[in-house]
Amino acid sequence: MAESVASIESAWIRSVPRVWLQKVAPYAIAMAVVAVSATVAYLALPYSDVADGAMIHLLAIVLLATRFDLKVSLLACVVSIVTFDYLCIPPRFALEWVDPKSSLTFVAMVVVTVTISALNERLRREERTARETAFRAEALHRLNLELSGASEPEHLAAVTTRHLESLFSAQVTVLLQAPGRSLERVAVNAQELEHAERAWARREMVGQTVESGTMIWVPLVGIHECLGVVGLRVERAFDKDSKQGRLLSACANQLSTAIERAQLSSAVHRTQLEAETERLRSSLLSAVSHDLKTPLSSIIAAGTALSTRRNELEPEIVDQLLSGVVSEGERLHRLIQNLLSITRLESPTIHLRPTPEAVEDILAAVLRRMETRLGSRQVRADLEAELPLVLVEPMLIEQVLANLLENAVSYAGPEATIEVCARRQTGSLIVQVLDDGPGIAESERHKVFEKFYRGRSSSQTDGGAGLGLTICRAIVRAHHGRIAVRERPGGGTLVEFTLPSVLGLHHRALEPASPVLQ
Amino acid sequence: MNKERVLVVEDDAVMRRVLLLTLRGHGYDASAAATAREALKHVETRAPDAMILDLGLPDMDGVEVAAAVRRRHELPIIVLSARGDEQQQIQALDAGANDYVTKPFREGELMARVRAALRKPTALPERSLLEVGPVRLDAIERRVQVRGVEVALTPIEFKLLYLLARESPSIVTHQQLLGAGWGADRVEDVQSLRVYVKQLRRKIEKDPARPLCLVTALGVGYRLVPPDASVY
Repeated sequence: MAESVASIESAWIRSVPRVWLQKVAPYAIAMAVVAVSATVAYLALPYSDVADGAMIHLLAIVLLATRFDLKVSLLACVVSIVTFDYLCIPPRFALEWVDPKSSLTFVAMVVVTVTISALNERLRREERTARETAFRAEALHRLNLELSGASEPEHLAAVTTRHLESLFSAQVTVLLQAPGRSLERVAVNAQELEHAERAWARREMVGQTVESGTMIWVPLVGIHECLGVVGLRVERAFDKDSKQGRLLSACANQLSTAIERAQLSSAVHRTQLEAETERLRSSLLSAVSHDLKTPLSSIIAAGTALSTRRNELEPEIVDQLLSGVVSEGERLHRLIQNLLSITRLESPTIHLRPTPEAVEDILAAVLRRMETRLGSRQVRADLEAELPLVLVEPMLIEQVLANLLENAVSYAGPEATIEVCARRQTGSLIVQVLDDGPGIAESERHKVFEKFYRGRSSSQTDGGAGLGLTICRAIVRAHHGRIAVRERPGGGTLVEFTLPSVLGLHHRALEPASPVLQ
Repeated sequence: MNKERVLVVEDDAVMRRVLLLTLRGHGYDASAAATAREALKHVETRAPDAMILDLGLPDMDGVEVAAAVRRRHELPIIVLSARGDEQQQIQALDAGANDYVTKPFREGELMARVRAALRKPTALPERSLLEVGPVRLDAIERRVQVRGVEVALTPIEFKLLYLLARESPSIVTHQQLLGAGWGADRVEDVQSLRVYVKQLRRKIEKDPARPLCLVTALGVGYRLVPPDASVY
C-alpha cells in the first residue's frame, strides 16, 4: 500500500514540471520579450523619436502574436503599452500621457496585436484542417492500394479491418453477406447482430451502446445490394457527418467497391472459361467427326464390296481390301484412344498416380505393341547404363513414346532410321526420339503441339486428328516435365522430353547382401 | 490325343465367333459362353482345360468370375481387357487369373498365351525343383543355377524368383511379389521391387538391358518365361 502511494506521488511530482512548463512558459517568454523590447526602446530614447520606441514595442508584440495565442499576445500587448508609457512617453516614469496622439498609438498597438493574433489563429486552424484532409486522403489511398492487391472478400475484409483498427484505434468486426442474402454470424452476440442487421437492412450507420463505449455499424453499400456491415467499437461515439464519421464512410465505401470488383471479375472469368470450353468442344467435335468418318467409310466400303462381290474379286484384291479393313480399324482405334486421353488429361481433376518405373521396360512394351506398325523398320535404342527409375504412370509414358514413334513412322518415310535415347540428369531423365526423315521447319517447332495441327506434308496415314503431340505434351506436363522439338544436327526430327527421376534406394540399404546358402 | 478344351467367355457375338474360329483353327476344342452364369455352369459341368475370359460381361464383374472359378478350379484363366483398364487387369490377376491380353490383340499373341498357359502342368502346390528356361530353382536346398552355374541370391531375391518360377508363365502382380518378398503388410513399396528385379536380371539374364526371361508386364507385374518365347 505504501509503495503504490509513493509511486503515485512520484509520478505526480514528475508530471508537475511538465504541466507547469506547457501552461506557464508562453507567458514567461512573452514577458521576457516585452522586457527586452522595453529596455531597447528605453536605451534608444536619446538617439530616436518616441515613435521609434513605439515601433520597437510593436515589433516585439507582432513577433509574439505570430507565435502565441490571443491571451498571451494581449497580455504582452498590455504590458508593453504600460512599460512604453512608463518609460518612454512624456511625462516619463508615470502612467499618463500628455500628447493625445499617444492614445492612437496605444489603440493601434492593440488592434495590430488582435489582428495578427486572429490571423495567426486562422492560419493554424486552416493548417490543421489541411493536414487532416491530407491525412484522410493518404489513409484512403493506402487502403485503396492494399485493397487492389487482394481478390477474395475475406482477404479484403481483413485488410480493411487492419486499416480501420490503426486509424481509429478501435476494435473492428466485418460481417459479410453470406449466400442466402443474410449476414454471416461471425464472432458477434445476438444484440450486436441485431444492430448490425439493422444497419445492413436500412443501409445507414447505426450506433449501439455497449459497455466501455459505443459500437458503430456501417453498412457496405454496393450498386445492387448491401454487401455486409463493418462494426467499430469506439470509446466515444461520433456522428456520421463528423470528420471521423466521414472517414469511416469513405473506408467502408472502398471496401464495398473492392468486394464488388472482385465479384465481378470472378463472374467474368467464369463466363470466359465457359465460352472457351464451349469453343473447344465444338472444334473438337468438328475435327473429330471427319477423322472418325473416314476410316469408318473405308471399312464399310471394303466390307460391302467383299460381301456382295466376293466371288468376282481376285484373291489379291480381296487380300488388299481385308488388310485395309484391319489397318483402318487400327487407325480408328488409335484415334479414339487419343480422344479419350485428351479428355482425361485436360479434365481439371486429373490425378496422376505415379509409380517408380524403369524406362527400359516402358520402351520394351511400346516396341512390342507397335511391332506390326513398325513393320520392317528398326528402332535403335540407345539407353544410358544404370538409368534411375522415373516416377510416372507407365501407361501414359508408353502412350507418349507410341505417339512419337507413330509420328516418326508416318512422316519420316519407310526408309528412315528411328532412334530412342535416354540419359540421366540431376533429378530427371531426358528421353529423345529421333528420325532422319524430312524434319520439322524451325518456324513450326512450337506449333506442332497445338491441337489439330498437322504437318505440311501430312499424309493420309495419320489417324490421330493432329492430337498426338498435344497429348504428349499434356502427359509430360502432368508429370512436371518439359517437351520440345529440337534441332537435329544432320537433319531430321528430334523430340525431347524430360521425366522426374526417383532418388534411388540403394540395394545395399535394403538387406545385407549375403547369399542364400545356409 | 484328346484336344484340349478351351472355354471362351465373351458377350460380343462377333468377337466370340472370331475367337472360336481361331482356337478351332489351331486345333483346340473350343466352346463359348456369353454370360458369367453360363460360364460358371460350363466350368462345373464340362471342366475345360483353359478359359479365355472377357472382363466386360453383362451380368457379373469379370474379376468376380475369375475369383469364383479360381476358388474351385485350377484351370488357367486368360483375361481379355480393354486398354486403359489396368486396374481391372490387376484385380483380375490378383483374384486368380494367370495372364491378360489387351484388346485389340493380335492372333499370334493370344495363341502364344494360350499355348503357354496350357503347357503349365496342373495343380502343383510346392514343387521342390522348378525350371524355367535357363533358371533352375531348388526350393528345399534354396539354390539357384542359371545356365548351369550356381548363382548367389539374397533371401528376398530368392523368394521373388521362386514365386515367379512357380507361377511361370503367368503374370505375378506387384502386390503378389511384395507380399512374397516382404510380407503382406508392405504392399506400397514398388520402388524396392524394381531395384530387386534389376538385381535379379543382372544375375540371370544374358543381357540385363534386354531381359528375355524376367519380363515386365507394364503397370501390372512381372513374369518368368523361357527366353525363346518371343511374345512377351
